Amino acid sequence: MAREKILEMKNIVKRYGDFVAVNNVDFSMYKGEIVAIIGPSGSGKSTLLRCINGLNSVTEGEISLKGTTGMVFQHFNLFPHMTCRNNITYAPIKVKKEDKDAVNKRADDLLKMVGLENKADVYPGQISGGQKQRIAIARALAMEPDLMLFDEPTSALDPEITGEVLNVMKKLAERHTTMIVVTHEMGFAKEVADRVVFMDNGVIVEEGSPEEIFDNPKSERLVAFLSSMLRA
Amino acid sequence: MDRIGEFLPFMLEGAVTTVEIFILTLVISLPLGLPIALGSNSRFKPLSFLCKIYVWLFRGTPLMLQLWFFYFLFPFQFGITLDAFMTIVITYVLNYAAYFAEIYRGGINSIDRGQYEAAHALGLSKRQTMSDIILPQTMKAILPPVVNETITLVKDTALASALGVIELMKATNSAVNRMTDLTPFFYAAIIYLIMTFILTLIAGRLEKYFSRYDAKEEW
Repeated sequence: MAREKILEMKNIVKRYGDFVAVNNVDFSMYKGEIVAIIGPSGSGKSTLLRCINGLNSVTEGEISLKGTTGMVFQHFNLFPHMTCRNNITYAPIKVKKEDKDAVNKRADDLLKMVGLENKADVYPGQISGGQKQRIAIARALAMEPDLMLFDEPTSALDPEITGEVLNVMKKLAERHTTMIVVTHEMGFAKEVADRVVFMDNGVIVEEGSPEEIFDNPKSERLVAFLSSMLRA
Repeated sequence: MDRIGEFLPFMLEGAVTTVEIFILTLVISLPLGLPIALGSNSRFKPLSFLCKIYVWLFRGTPLMLQLWFFYFLFPFQFGITLDAFMTIVITYVLNYAAYFAEIYRGGINSIDRGQYEAAHALGLSKRQTMSDIILPQTMKAILPPVVNETITLVKDTALASALGVIELMKATNSAVNRMTDLTPFFYAAIIYLIMTFILTLIAGRLEKYFSRYDAKEEW
C-alpha cells in the first residue's frame, strides 16, 4: 500500500515564557492511520495536537499539513444557542458554502451514525455530556476533514458514559478515518490505534504499535506511567 | 376634576417629546455601543486606548455637564445653531453609547474561550465568529443591565428640561407653577411609571426569548 503522508511536523518547539511545553518533537501521520497519544497530564500532548490546527502557534519548527482538520474538544464546545442540527450544518453551509439540502442530508446521516437522530432539534443544554460529545463529533465530521483531532474526548465525562463516545470513535476507526486521539483511555488506545505515541515532559519518549507500547514498554518512564494508569 | 383638563393635555404633549428623546437616543446608542465595545477589546492599542478614553469621559462626568457643554459648543465653537432637542439627542446618544459599550464588552468577555476555539477549528472567519457565535450568546447576559440603563434613560430625559425643551418634566413644572397645585406631579409620576412598566414587559419577553436554549432538564 502506497502510504500518503498527510501530516509532517519537524522540530516542533512550543514555549510559554520559560516553560517548554513541547520540546523538539518530530511527528508524522499517514492517511488512514489512527494514532493515540498518551502520557501524563502536562506532558505536552494536547499542546502538540493544538499546534496542528493552529489553535496554538508553534515557537519553532515546521508543520506541513495536506488537507483539512476537524477537532473534538474535551469540553465539547458546542454552540449552545444553536440546535444540534444547526451545530452540525452551520460550518458546511456558512464556511464551505455548500448546498443546504445536501448538508442537511449529511447531518441526518451523521446524527444516525452517532445514534442521536431524535436530538436533531434540541439545544445542547438539553442533552447529556456523552450526547454532547457525540454531536460534537458529528459537527466536526460534517466538514469532511482529512484528519480528525480528538483532544481528550472522554476526560470530562462520567466513566459510565465514556463508552458511548468511544463506540462512535470505534465506528470511525472501522471506516479508516484518519485520526489522532489524545487520550487517557488505555483500553481504547490498545484496541483501536495503529500506533501509540507516549509523551512525557514535552518529548516523545517512545512510540510503536499498541503491542510494543503496552506489552513491551522499553523506557522506564513508560513503564512507570503504565503502572500508574493501572493503579488508577 | 375639571382642572385636569387644564394641564393634562399640555403634559401629554410633553410626554410625547420625552418619548421622542427616549426612542431616538435608544435606537442610535444601542448599535453605536457595539463598535466602541469591539474597539475597546481590540488588540490594536491606539484604537482600544481611544475607545477607553471615550468611555471614561462620558461615564466619568455628569450628564448635565455634557448637556451644557454641547449646548454651548456648537454655537460658540462652530457657529452652528443647533436646537435644544438635537443637542439633547446627540449628548444622550454619546453618553448612553458609552454605557452600552461597557455592558457589551462585559458580555463578550464572559463567553468561554472554547467557543472561539470551536469556531476556529471549523474554519469560521473572525466576523462570522463574532456575529453568529459570540454576540448571540451575549444577549442573555447583557439584557438585564441594558434594561437597567434603558429605564435610567427614561428618567434622564427629565434633564432636558434644563435646556428649555418642553418634555414631560418641564410641562409638569409649569403646570404646578401655574395651578399652584401639586397634582400634576402625581400625574407625571404615573406617566413615567407607565413608560418604565412597558419597558419591563418588553424586557421580560426578550429575556424569555434569549433563554430558549437553556437546559430544561438537570443532568
